[in-house]
Amino acid sequence: MRVVIGEDQALMRAGLALVLEQAGFEIVAVAGDAEDLVRKTAAHRPDLLVADIRMPPTHTDDGLRAALELRRRLPGLPVLVLSQYLQRDYAVELLESGEEGVGYLLKQRIADVERFVADLHRIVAGGSVLDREVVAAMVGRYRRGDPIGRLTDRQRAVLEQMAEGRSNAAIAEQLGVSEKAVVRHTSNIYDELGIDRTPEDHRRVLAVVRYLSL
Amino acid sequence: MSAVATTPAQDHAPYSRRQALTLAVGQVAAGALIAGLVELALFYSGNDDPPAWPAVLYVAGAWIYVAAGTVAWLRRPGSRIGLLMTIGGFAWLGAGLINTSVPALVAAGSIVQTVPIAILVHLLLAFPSGRLRGTAERVTVAGIYGVSLVLQAPRYLLAPGPLQIDEDPQLLDVAAWTQRGVATAFVLVACALLLRRLRDAPPAQRRVLGPLSLYGAVAALAMPLGAGIVDLLDGRGAILLSCVQMGLTAGVTVFFAIAVSRGGFARTGQIEELGARLGGEEGRREGLAEVLGETLGDSSLELLFRVPGEQSWVNGAGVATVPPAASTRRGVAKVQLGDETIGAIVYDATLLTRSDEVREAAQIVALALDRERLTVELRASRARLVEAGDEERRRIARDLHDGLQSRLVLLAVQAGVAPGTSSELREGIEVAIDELRALVHGVMPAELTERGLPAAVNELADRMPIDVVLEVAGFERRPSPAVESTAFFVTAEAMVNAVKHARADELTVTLAHGERALRIEVRDDGTGGAGARSGNGIRSIADRVEALGGRLRIDSATGAGTRVMVELPCAS
Repeated sequence: MRVVIGEDQALMRAGLALVLEQAGFEIVAVAGDAEDLVRKTAAHRPDLLVADIRMPPTHTDDGLRAALELRRRLPGLPVLVLSQYLQRDYAVELLESGEEGVGYLLKQRIADVERFVADLHRIVAGGSVLDREVVAAMVGRYRRGDPIGRLTDRQRAVLEQMAEGRSNAAIAEQLGVSEKAVVRHTSNIYDELGIDRTPEDHRRVLAVVRYLSL
Repeated sequence: MSAVATTPAQDHAPYSRRQALTLAVGQVAAGALIAGLVELALFYSGNDDPPAWPAVLYVAGAWIYVAAGTVAWLRRPGSRIGLLMTIGGFAWLGAGLINTSVPALVAAGSIVQTVPIAILVHLLLAFPSGRLRGTAERVTVAGIYGVSLVLQAPRYLLAPGPLQIDEDPQLLDVAAWTQRGVATAFVLVACALLLRRLRDAPPAQRRVLGPLSLYGAVAALAMPLGAGIVDLLDGRGAILLSCVQMGLTAGVTVFFAIAVSRGGFARTGQIEELGARLGGEEGRREGLAEVLGETLGDSSLELLFRVPGEQSWVNGAGVATVPPAASTRRGVAKVQLGDETIGAIVYDATLLTRSDEVREAAQIVALALDRERLTVELRASRARLVEAGDEERRRIARDLHDGLQSRLVLLAVQAGVAPGTSSELREGIEVAIDELRALVHGVMPAELTERGLPAAVNELADRMPIDVVLEVAGFERRPSPAVESTAFFVTAEAMVNAVKHARADELTVTLAHGERALRIEVRDDGTGGAGARSGNGIRSIADRVEALGGRLRIDSATGAGTRVMVELPCAS
């Protein structure tokens, strides 16, 4: 699988290259700033884009801006953005750019190679992956009157797993319940959040976005 | 209990002070009324030899003085002219005592018989602020008091009365005329001083000051001279002259009171008061811009200060600014101290149409403004320190991010991919990375630098274990970095305190970014009583707020939750 890396720090580039190559990805281009990233990605049309959020020129969220622009220009381009810290706004913006094939992880997650590579494959396959800490922060923020607040503990746990991009089978395994029970929970969650009948994948991401932006 | 932490907290002292003044002045006026009635009663009841009816004029004159004094005093509490008029009223009452039949009172009356003349001269020279301006004025006023008290002595010691020690009509006559002569001389000196003042006054003042001074001078001269003429006349002529004389003198106070309270002199008087107000003690001194605005009657008045040794300007909050060009709506008056321009008064030119008055005020406040300028400069340098500190924090956060954190991530990756390495090593490094991330966040949160205050506070709210309601307004443009980071740290401190100490269940955070200020309110429903235990955290935050010229207030009654309110001025 062909991948483009957007990362301006040499050390991180080295670390990413190490992990990606070991996992069998082919690194077709490396970009050091946002403009370069847009150009090279558009030219190479890779199977996956991995980009640091903070990049030149402004050293703020240029990498995310570039990734969002690329997702507009190349619909369906799987994108994983990495960051040294997490911000909910970034996750929401990313998910709103399209519900499929997006990921947002802390940089340090690449060290857990096995899990990281599994996440990469899930993104390439059109799944969504959110860092467990972003998700935990969302769960921690309980507000009165929120639809999220009306969910039962079990439903919240299921939604949290969904937000991490897990399949029903994986959630069932994680929570130690049957897959059927998970399906029942998800359908109750959609009802509670007022999400209309749409194809299953969309509903999942909509639930996650709703969950994150509330 | 309620705690107020640092910075100029607003209290309502001016109102209670005002009420106390009204009460005190009212009591004095009532006292004068009653004393006058008692004196009248003493004239005509139980007196075997009641005075002729013009004696009533003493009491009438006293009442007019006190009435005019009361009005002037209440209208212009800072001016001493009202007080002086009131004292004049009591002097008239004292002088009137000579008409009673009680020997001790007659003695007192004869001693202070001519004091009203001295007070009239004092009034003339001290108009409109109630303060004497020059040495010549002070000497003249001291002299006329001397004449009215010392040269009066022979007149009660030699004339028939309770204090008489010898009978010598000829000597008495000489003494009386001597006193009148010397008094007249002093009054003439006073007139000369008035003329000099009139000559130096701005033309606009001269129009009002001229007739007033002329009238006052005539009234003052009429007293010693008139008394002599009365002595020469008998019967109806003397009575008529006494009436005219009393009418003239009483009239002076009425016109002065009107002039001090309204008309052009109100302002001149106030500008002189201004000098006195600004000379107050350090802690009690009011803000120069407020005093000046109040004095000139323009609440939009602003003071700008020129930074010493530089061409740049700052406003009262120490924020760099540029003096506006004078227009038909905004007037600008430069303040000079010696040859140096030290500041500028920016005022509403539609409200204050007389630029010469503003310039006059500017010169009076020059010294005070110079002092204030140093304060502002100090504040600006403290604000620069805060900014420099923040810049340093941003640099440290960046270096930790780009250097140490990246290196640790690479290490963790190497530990993760190296064959035969236990996963504990990698997990240990990951824990170190988490700790470093928390540390960097505490130094300077990246979301604050990158996304601004609302995003950073929102992020903070996510981490709070309790319900947080966040209300945000006016952040279409970002505040300056120093204001932004100070706002963030103070909000974070207040939020953390609410959770840690107040055991709150709900927090409401309001961030309102206005034209001139950023207002923050953090309100919780916890146990309150924050004043007693507010520790170093909030104290150091308060210092930061103050360094930027802001205010911080904590309302934390026990059991009623805590409200932290912060206002930070922004450059508009």
